Amino acid sequence: MSRIIDIFEQSLKKSTADQTELVCEKEEFYLTRFAESRIHQNIGRADHTLWCRAVIGKKIGVAKTNILSQESINELVKTAIEICSQQVENPRFTSLVSSPKAQQTEGFYKSTAEYSPLNRAKAVKTIVDIAGQDKLATSGMFQTSTTELVVANSLGTRQQGKVTEAKISITLSDNSDRSGFAQAYSRDIKDIDFRDVANRGVQKASRPNKQVELQPGTYTVILEPEAVADFLLFLGFLGFGGRGMFNHRSFMADKIGSAIMSENVTIAEDPINPVIQYMSFDYEGVPRSKVVIVEKGIAKGVVYDSYYAHLNNVQSTGNALQPDNSYGPYPKAMVMDAGDKSLDEMIASTGRGILITHFWYLNFINPMLTTVTGTTRDGTFLIENGKITAPVTDMRISQSMLEAFNNVEALSKQRRLVPKFGVLMYVPAMKIDNFNFVSLA
Amino acid sequence: MDDVKKAGMIALEKAVSAGASYADFRYTYTESESLSYNNGAPESVDESLDKGFGVRVIADGAWGFCSSADVTENEIIRVAEKAVEIAKASAILQTKPVELAPIEIYTDSYISSFNVDPFKISTAEKLQYLAYLDELMSQNEGIKYRNSFLDFRKINKNLLSTEGLDIHQLIVQSGAGVSVTAMRSHRDRARRSYPANEGIFECKGYELLDEVDFENNIPIICQQAVALLEAEPCPSKTCDIVLDGSHVSLVIHESIGHALELDRVFGGERNFSGTSFATPEKLDNFKYASDIVSVVADATSPHGLGSFGYDDDGVKAHESDLIREGILVGYLSSRETAKRIGKLSSGAMRADGWGNVPIVRMTNTNLKPGNLTLDELISGVDDGLYMQTTSSWSIDDTRENFQFGCQIAWEIKGGKLGKMIKNPTYGGNTVSFWNSCDGIGNRSLWRVWGTPNCGKGQPGQNGRVGQGAAPVRIRNVKVGF
Repeated sequence: MSRIIDIFEQSLKKSTADQTELVCEKEEFYLTRFAESRIHQNIGRADHTLWCRAVIGKKIGVAKTNILSQESINELVKTAIEICSQQVENPRFTSLVSSPKAQQTEGFYKSTAEYSPLNRAKAVKTIVDIAGQDKLATSGMFQTSTTELVVANSLGTRQQGKVTEAKISITLSDNSDRSGFAQAYSRDIKDIDFRDVANRGVQKASRPNKQVELQPGTYTVILEPEAVADFLLFLGFLGFGGRGMFNHRSFMADKIGSAIMSENVTIAEDPINPVIQYMSFDYEGVPRSKVVIVEKGIAKGVVYDSYYAHLNNVQSTGNALQPDNSYGPYPKAMVMDAGDKSLDEMIASTGRGILITHFWYLNFINPMLTTVTGTTRDGTFLIENGKITAPVTDMRISQSMLEAFNNVEALSKQRRLVPKFGVLMYVPAMKIDNFNFVSLA
Repeated sequence: MDDVKKAGMIALEKAVSAGASYADFRYTYTESESLSYNNGAPESVDESLDKGFGVRVIADGAWGFCSSADVTENEIIRVAEKAVEIAKASAILQTKPVELAPIEIYTDSYISSFNVDPFKISTAEKLQYLAYLDELMSQNEGIKYRNSFLDFRKINKNLLSTEGLDIHQLIVQSGAGVSVTAMRSHRDRARRSYPANEGIFECKGYELLDEVDFENNIPIICQQAVALLEAEPCPSKTCDIVLDGSHVSLVIHESIGHALELDRVFGGERNFSGTSFATPEKLDNFKYASDIVSVVADATSPHGLGSFGYDDDGVKAHESDLIREGILVGYLSSRETAKRIGKLSSGAMRADGWGNVPIVRMTNTNLKPGNLTLDELISGVDDGLYMQTTSSWSIDDTRENFQFGCQIAWEIKGGKLGKMIKNPTYGGNTVSFWNSCDGIGNRSLWRVWGTPNCGKGQPGQNGRVGQGAAPVRIRNVKVGF
């Protein structure tokens, strides 16, 4: 890390741009994949990505490389300046940002960083053995990784941080209809109980009774945390970022202060939450901060990087993405408030409904109405008279996510950390009325 | 190390001495440039260099892979040893040693066909081109948002193996596209794009831009976007549909290409991308589609985005049958998966860059052209819809049940196109859908459409693939979800 800072200092001194920003993301990544109860892919990777954003007046140039040396970074700065010189001015751009030192993140655990390939394989074997007792085949993935981020700019910003991640997900199945999904996530590998993950998967795959087909229509559903996270991720991409607010493509546009969800729903971007332990600053070096997005159903705010913060006359919330992104900021660490019921109590209070473990291949039908389609997967069950009575053949949904979050009858006390596509979410299970299924999957 | 071959030999020797029974070394150096324009101003201009290497081994009968961006001798040795350590860890769950189908061993160099190296064209000239596209879109005052992009990639790749492979490939890819949005209110808007939802991507140089008719088509999509605001919604009913080629490309990709990836068929993607209904016992006897439907995997399609010289197993690019006259006759496969069904590899083992392990991917999944004109396809429909350009897509984890949407449609009544329809959607089952195909457009309507962002695998890998497609006619489809 100090080597990178030293290289950045030299290159910043040499830069002829009005403003210069250098970013390095370094990754040591291991992932074990398994299927048919054996390991079929098992990888390690050491990489670093380096960006330079050069500013001349209101012209911006971004260049990227993964070649880490003083010479290469000097060349990267030159390339970014060259791009600048050929650019057209962006009148909306004001400046890079000068940020105070971010509080050191606590999301780094040596236990995760040093976890060996053999330990990963042994953990997988534990799960395979447990599943095998129920004649279930195991598939899944188990990742341990370390990410370091360094940001330095010519306005004096200097940030560096390091976090680890351990995540495992499994699907247990056999040649019949039985299947069950389970996952776990922690910064510290020591917090993951592989037997618990295996047992949760077995429990889902081993529900008694034959699978039943339900007619398409409207049902009460209970979404387990992984299914809630599927929806929340899409809501975050679509509506909780400053770009959508600026160009009115967000469902939050013109809705701040209005009720958009049920009163029992509170959502925040909360990267400093001790359960989340996200990297404490963003790719511009701005310290990440807590942002209340929806409070008791009322739209409160969205997240920003410096560019869209300026355009919306607010402060950056520390949600800048990589310098070469064109997507704009979105939440990376969302926390939903818990409810007051256990999952069992939520099931017991349901006369007839469907318990959904998670969704597959959600995609927008109408982004402005937040309508998505997708299917249920690997753990869908019929609830009758407060009890789970049978597995259900997977079904296709067509549902406005906002409407679903506006029909929330109950949330669970227990929450789970769910990582999806680089976004970490800490969410409860949710009981939702009037959920729309359009066909069998 | 500048000498890639020497680097590879060090890696292979170290892997073997550490206990590997098989090893390959793959080095890639990729230059990328992407530019975008948004409502009269450049949104982004990004240039990127990326290089690194990966060592894949079999040790104790199991796979291991390790990779690094640091191409130095010490790191090459560390990575090779780590790959073997990882493989030996994999072996504790290996019930049967990995076996590979045999291949021919080549020493070769492959260069994809292109005329103008896009990396020799200045950024200023590229921005000027985007400004020109933006100007064309700005002519229609009903358009609220205008987006355009250019995308170029040059990939240098070396593959060496303990079996004697020594292959170099240089592949140049170019992409371009525009999209426009008309809106009446923030929640009432219509988007059109050209040439396809994701633009056009081919293995070509800068000359690609001369071959795309933006000038005549941008005014058309602008008019259509504005008109869509007043169009009627898609009715809910069962009817015949005609789909344009760019959208058929997506349907092939989702319901045939992915379904016939043999690693998926065996459960290798069970926890993530899913499995497939097209299981091996169906090979050579399953009626996947109607008699007029034949599909091949062809990594040699001229300028196809999924074209190359050799896959990452070292298998020479070739055409292989997937569906012949409606019958399932083949899979997309690797050396390992092909061996399991007693076949040779179809040459579909591909990795996203140096840092990922190769997995079975599509190459160019080509639906063979039929013999009908677009007018003939439409005139054969009494009551139906003609749909153009993908807008949304979702398919289940066994690739059977899907729901797709398009940007625009027109009613078909008595074989003639009628009023415009907005947000058309349809759904169905892969097998019944393709068995209901009774018309395919002719060669003049056919082209290979590039998909630059096909996701698969954990960690997620981005694949660049193609689909050869012409418009098709499908009977009795449920529309309007």
